[in-house]
Amino acid sequence: MCLGIPMQIVAINGYNARCQAKGVEREVSLFMLQDESVAVGDFVMIHVGYAINKMSEAEARSSWELFDELLASHHA
Amino acid sequence: MADSAKIWLNRINALQPQPLRILNVCGGHERSLSQAGLRSLLPEGVELIPGPGCPVCVCPEEDIYHAIQLALHEKVTLVAFGDMLRVPVNVGKQGVRSLAQARAQGADIRPIATPQQALALARDNPGRQIIFFVAGFETTLAPVAAMVAEGIPDNLLLLISGRLTWPAVALLLHSGEIGFDALIAPGHVATVMGANEWQFVVNDHQIPVAVAGFSPESLLAGFWSVMRQRQERRLFVDNCYSELVTPQGNVRAQQWLQQVFTIIAANWRGIGTIADSGYALQPRYIAHDARQHYPDYANDARHRAGEMPPGCGCAAVILGRQYPHQCQLYGNPCTPRSPVGPCMVSDEGACHIWWEHSPVNGV
Repeated sequence: MCLGIPMQIVAINGYNARCQAKGVEREVSLFMLQDESVAVGDFVMIHVGYAINKMSEAEARSSWELFDELLASHHA
Repeated sequence: MADSAKIWLNRINALQPQPLRILNVCGGHERSLSQAGLRSLLPEGVELIPGPGCPVCVCPEEDIYHAIQLALHEKVTLVAFGDMLRVPVNVGKQGVRSLAQARAQGADIRPIATPQQALALARDNPGRQIIFFVAGFETTLAPVAAMVAEGIPDNLLLLISGRLTWPAVALLLHSGEIGFDALIAPGHVATVMGANEWQFVVNDHQIPVAVAGFSPESLLAGFWSVMRQRQERRLFVDNCYSELVTPQGNVRAQQWLQQVFTIIAANWRGIGTIADSGYALQPRYIAHDARQHYPDYANDARHRAGEMPPGCGCAAVILGRQYPHQCQLYGNPCTPRSPVGPCMVSDEGACHIWWEHSPVNGV
């Protein structure tokens, strides 16, 4: 529940965004970021379907590596 | 391990730190550091203690019981985050022990991953009452507040069992002998609520704090920071996750939290009642409050501190007073496959995480 997942914004429609992480796409709410300028291509940290903040691509990629290891250990 | 993590390890070793007990209060932190094996890499005498960082684990038994009874006896659909479904409550042999068992008996209970799924279900089924059982910390309650502020349909009701993170730490700091010397503050709670929220730990208790992210580098940077703060006797709230965390946090999200919720004294499973530590819906949202709609299923007799199953050490684990493997039930019979206590159920529970990563030898 507290585990955030970084995703990249693919498309924006109002406060709703289509985001992707490693090929998986999800609908995400940008409602909590309405005071920020958010654009397609930006990386955001997602919690229970809501973007809680923007982040850099480098930070997002290092988190994804962590998830890869996590998934590998889950399936081991 | 990335080079940057090795650099932080070298820096930590160069400090030649004194024995130090570092508490974390986030299941995500415990998972990351266990997975990376950081316990075994740190200098001898440096202990990493998992504390009250699992919202599923501290969700009081009476609330789960309330949700089970509601789902069994009313014509409603109950949705909850997946982890909640398997948490056992104390009932006799014939009783329904968990939401999962209630589901098996025919109750309409569905696991969800986001508040948006509860919203979509309510919109798609206008003739059906949908009850969203919400357990979580600020990282979950802020999105729920945003959803409510944005507007929800009449048939969506909320059974709120949300908790604030910092009051549990405050409780640990005020209950006799303090069991830790430094605090790693939760990165995503701080993203929403701001790093400043942890200033009281430094000011009132002279304990160093570092807000950390979830990579080994960020966690190691946090450990190094609190060690160095101790050595130099210069204490502050260090922000080792500045990528996402600011001193003030997401101010808009905090406004929604205030608009939608009021702060109440709340029971924590294994801990007891903590003042000003729980979220409840503001009176203006009474029409969406499942507690007001269905008060008959609330059973105050179940409200008691430390209501863990017999023999279960979850209470001591949540309070950071016992490591998971020191519990007499750990591994036999309590495992993630057949959990006895909530800490073995949740992905964020210390027992579940330790079982997966078996760091016992690294303590």
